[in-house]
Amino acid sequence: MWSREIAGLRLTFHLAGINNQNFLMRDEETGTYWQQISGKAIAGPLQGSQLTLVHSDELNFGTWKSEQPEGTVLADVPRYAFEYAPKNWDVRMQRAPTVIDFHEHALKARDLMLGIRASGASRAYLYDQVVREKLVKDRVGSEAVLLVVGPDGQSVRAFRDRIPGVPGVPDFYRRPDGLLIDASTGSEWNFPGCAVSGKAKGTCLEPVEVLKDYWFDWRNYNPATTIYGRK
Amino acid sequence: MNRRAAVLILIACLAFSLTCIIYPLYVIQPFRAQGAHELAAALLVLRYKLAAATLSAFAALAALVFYWRAQNRWWRRAVATAGALLVCALAALSRVNVYELMFHPDAHPVFRAASQVKLDSDEKVIAVRLGEAARAYPIRIVSYHHVINDVLDKVALVATY
Repeated sequence: MWSREIAGLRLTFHLAGINNQNFLMRDEETGTYWQQISGKAIAGPLQGSQLTLVHSDELNFGTWKSEQPEGTVLADVPRYAFEYAPKNWDVRMQRAPTVIDFHEHALKARDLMLGIRASGASRAYLYDQVVREKLVKDRVGSEAVLLVVGPDGQSVRAFRDRIPGVPGVPDFYRRPDGLLIDASTGSEWNFPGCAVSGKAKGTCLEPVEVLKDYWFDWRNYNPATTIYGRK
Repeated sequence: MNRRAAVLILIACLAFSLTCIIYPLYVIQPFRAQGAHELAAALLVLRYKLAAATLSAFAALAALVFYWRAQNRWWRRAVATAGALLVCALAALSRVNVYELMFHPDAHPVFRAASQVKLDSDEKVIAVRLGEAARAYPIRIVSYHHVINDVLDKVALVATY
């Protein structure tokens, strides 16, 4: 999710091609070409510019709706709806060939990863492993982070492992009902990362952008990435 | 300009216009690896192909006029005319975004209240919240259109997948 505002302009983007299976966008206003995954302008008048990230989460609809019952949802375009991917598109994509691959860390090209960039470093987490562990406490560079699996067992969010205004390490752990507890304040935290009881009630953790991506794509744009749980 | 020069110009215009159309299509294919330099070259061609193909069409038409004046045989005139028309057709084609022919854009996205939407609970969405406004973009929709230009809580954003 990118901001469309840059250099005093509001840009309108179009699909404009593909670069090693990550698509390119072109804006109407300047004719600049942008790489979708990085938000970087790679050709044209604004070459070298960087779009600003807008924080987003990839969630299950049911989880999102329970959190945002008053929210709005993008509707399909009826005349193209028959061309949309089927429900099991992610399973089918696992079998699609790739044009690049990186044979590192015993990972396959289409292994699903959760990628985080923070404090100048990049780190990737095997999605299946995070889902199994349900709560991952780790560091990306010098940044302490949390990866939290939601009650649906599939949605994942990441946060800075730090309670705003509270010094020290929070030391989170997960209760069987899915709520997080931090040992430092004894507060309960919900999946959106906000304390619902305890001393920190009303405080929310700072979200960290996490990208769900295939290994080959994540590695292509993060050549120095490390992998959680692997050397 | 003599006939020979006019023919050479027509052939050059045709070759040039075909290259402007075909080269980016060849380089930028979904299941082909793109090298950095060839991608840069293909994007350069894409950026200027409309202007280049249009100029080529004008040059071809000018060459055709000279050729008609210098050539009496009807069948040679016909061949030259066909060539020039093809160059003009390529100029028209250079306006086409073939990627949006494959994946039609959602130029005017419509949004519905969450309570009115029938999606399975495990349908994947990209969720964004700005201020008090929350919006979900089903991935099956965004992955087809690739790009959704939107405004949420006065913030202009683009959902991509």
